[in-house]
Amino acid sequence: MEPLQQRRRFLKALLLAYPLVSGALLLSPAEARQRKLPLSVLDAEEAADLETVIEALVPGSAGAGAVHFIDYQLARPSADSLLMLRYLGVAEPHVNFYRSGLMALARHSIERYGKRPAELPAPALDQLITDLITDDTQDWAGPPASFLYFVWRSDGIDVTYGTEDGMAVLDTPYMAHIRPEQVW
Amino acid sequence: MVTVRDKVDLLVVGSGAAGSVFAAEASAAGKQVVLLEAGPARTPDHLVSSQLWARRHKWGGAHVEEEGDHRVGHNFNAGWGTGGSTMHHYGVWPRLHENDFQTFTQYGQGLDWPLQYAELRPYYDRIQGTVGLSGDAIQERWRPPGDAYPMPPVPVFGQGRLLAEGFSRLDMHTAPLPLAINTIPYRGRPACLYDGWCDAGCPIGALGNAQTVFLAEAMQSGAVVRNEATVTRLLTSTDGKRIEGVEYRSADGSAHRLYAEVVVLAAFTVQNARLLLASANSRHPRGLANSSGLVGRYLMTHPTVSLYGLFDAETQPALGPTGGQLINQDGYDNKLAVKDAYGSFQWIIANAVKPNGLLGIANNRPDIYGSQLKPFLQRAVKHLGVMTLVAEDIALRENRVELSSKRDVFGVPLARAVHNQGKPSAALVAHAVQQGKAVLDAAGAREQWRGPQAGMHIMGGTVMGVDPAGSVTNSYGQSHDIDNLYIAGPGLFPGSGAVNPTFTVHALALRAAEQMLRNWP
Repeated sequence: MEPLQQRRRFLKALLLAYPLVSGALLLSPAEARQRKLPLSVLDAEEAADLETVIEALVPGSAGAGAVHFIDYQLARPSADSLLMLRYLGVAEPHVNFYRSGLMALARHSIERYGKRPAELPAPALDQLITDLITDDTQDWAGPPASFLYFVWRSDGIDVTYGTEDGMAVLDTPYMAHIRPEQVW
Repeated sequence: MVTVRDKVDLLVVGSGAAGSVFAAEASAAGKQVVLLEAGPARTPDHLVSSQLWARRHKWGGAHVEEEGDHRVGHNFNAGWGTGGSTMHHYGVWPRLHENDFQTFTQYGQGLDWPLQYAELRPYYDRIQGTVGLSGDAIQERWRPPGDAYPMPPVPVFGQGRLLAEGFSRLDMHTAPLPLAINTIPYRGRPACLYDGWCDAGCPIGALGNAQTVFLAEAMQSGAVVRNEATVTRLLTSTDGKRIEGVEYRSADGSAHRLYAEVVVLAAFTVQNARLLLASANSRHPRGLANSSGLVGRYLMTHPTVSLYGLFDAETQPALGPTGGQLINQDGYDNKLAVKDAYGSFQWIIANAVKPNGLLGIANNRPDIYGSQLKPFLQRAVKHLGVMTLVAEDIALRENRVELSSKRDVFGVPLARAVHNQGKPSAALVAHAVQQGKAVLDAAGAREQWRGPQAGMHIMGGTVMGVDPAGSVTNSYGQSHDIDNLYIAGPGLFPGSGAVNPTFTVHALALRAAEQMLRNWP
């Protein structure tokens, strides 16, 4: 059997393993979200706003468990984090970046549109995304809005398309040497 | 409180490209060698094929502050764990050219190296034989003298063929990319499978990194790697004339001292400079090895821009090495060819890409989101072509690593890396990008775009030279001030050239290690 074919035989197990009960059960972030597992770092309002914005940027990311993925990475030591933010020169702890960004986002949303991001109707949410992209954010007190857009969009892409399942949706081969199946 | 005290022959700080060569040579010569690695233990089993998991191989140590209009991108370029940045490097191993070594004398730019290409060539050739490079030396018509590659080149997939046609239509030449990647079994290591996971680490050993070659040799000869051992200070003798060892913290936070006859500082560019500066004492008030005042100075990074095109034909962008399949250096040897610009540049052609990741398909079009994202990705994973510019940086004294007022968990000042781009370098990049766009047009790209300019590789900061007043070390990386202190890695480079530095790092380290052993104290 050809090496590539051999590797394709191993493409069926979980990728985004999420630990539950000392690793006895492995869940993907999507399953963690479905089961409404409690978050460790983000509170309910932060999680709702983050999920709303990331879903608007990367459709499908909410169901893929983007918020559970981010929350779990923020809860672990930064040297073990799998967030792309670790590449980008942001000082640790990275929870400060996400939290201050979400706070600035919520404040901006309420001041300009009268509601938190998670409560906005679609047209206003579209405009809020445009505000982020263009840094049209008066009195913004957080990381630069366009940078937050880039990071959150990347997080959504990671969970939605950076997995075996995600690449299958795109009809592109995964071809792992070693499949990611350890507990995070 | 210091809890451990022991002494070895050679202490190497860092287990990456340079440190592993020193360790292999010294342990083969019978020296007792210990490598202190700040990052965790890594084995091939850790090299999981995933852009997410690959992030563990990038810097996870003390924060590095960055400033300037062209930042070096420390965290993306630096490694974390056994093998250092070689564990995520792409294995692109071109040689510096002969005209990279005397840029001040020849062009009035930057600094001269304290050696010529001819002096380094035998070490390039020997490293090449040991690691095993693939390529085609004849097709690389710009290549300086050197032995032929021991392995045939990597295959060219769809995007490589299309882009090569674009170069050809503009009367430009492409050659197989020289890679530290096996195309046939070589010295007990298997051939590559071309599935594009190089930057997640190569667990099969087809890519020549520290763990597959020199670190493996060193450990077979008895060298020991101590992981999660963060060096916090270099220690000198009372008179300041010799280095005696280092102080480091282990995973539990406890302090240790390790003494050695010779110390090699091979902790990569920024941390090398940081440690030297942070180890100042009464005999070396400006930091160790810093009588010139140049520790930290002449920091460099290659300006890089990726260009992308979508083609009608399928391009197989998931296949092949992450580093690319082909190379063009037509513009390399005339550093004054472009008005108001200075420097060499090269194109690395047809990089394998995945959907996610900082350099992935989605992030090369950050303007696309919402309902447009999935259709774009579905098209791009089958029709994308990529080519990456690597341009020369100019060694400027004001670009530097310095100490921050902030400190890490062990009380060591953080590093601040300040890097701005010189105008001649910026003009070179602008010219090259226009050339690249023309290539994509000629190749038949239906649409094309460019990524942002970023810093690729980090060099300088502990530059080598002839004059102790104008450099930190001699041509072997030996401190001008402290004989038994060697500095290793790309921080020694007085000039960046426009080629990926890892091959040169190895060649310099081999040359230096042999000199060290010949002159063992």
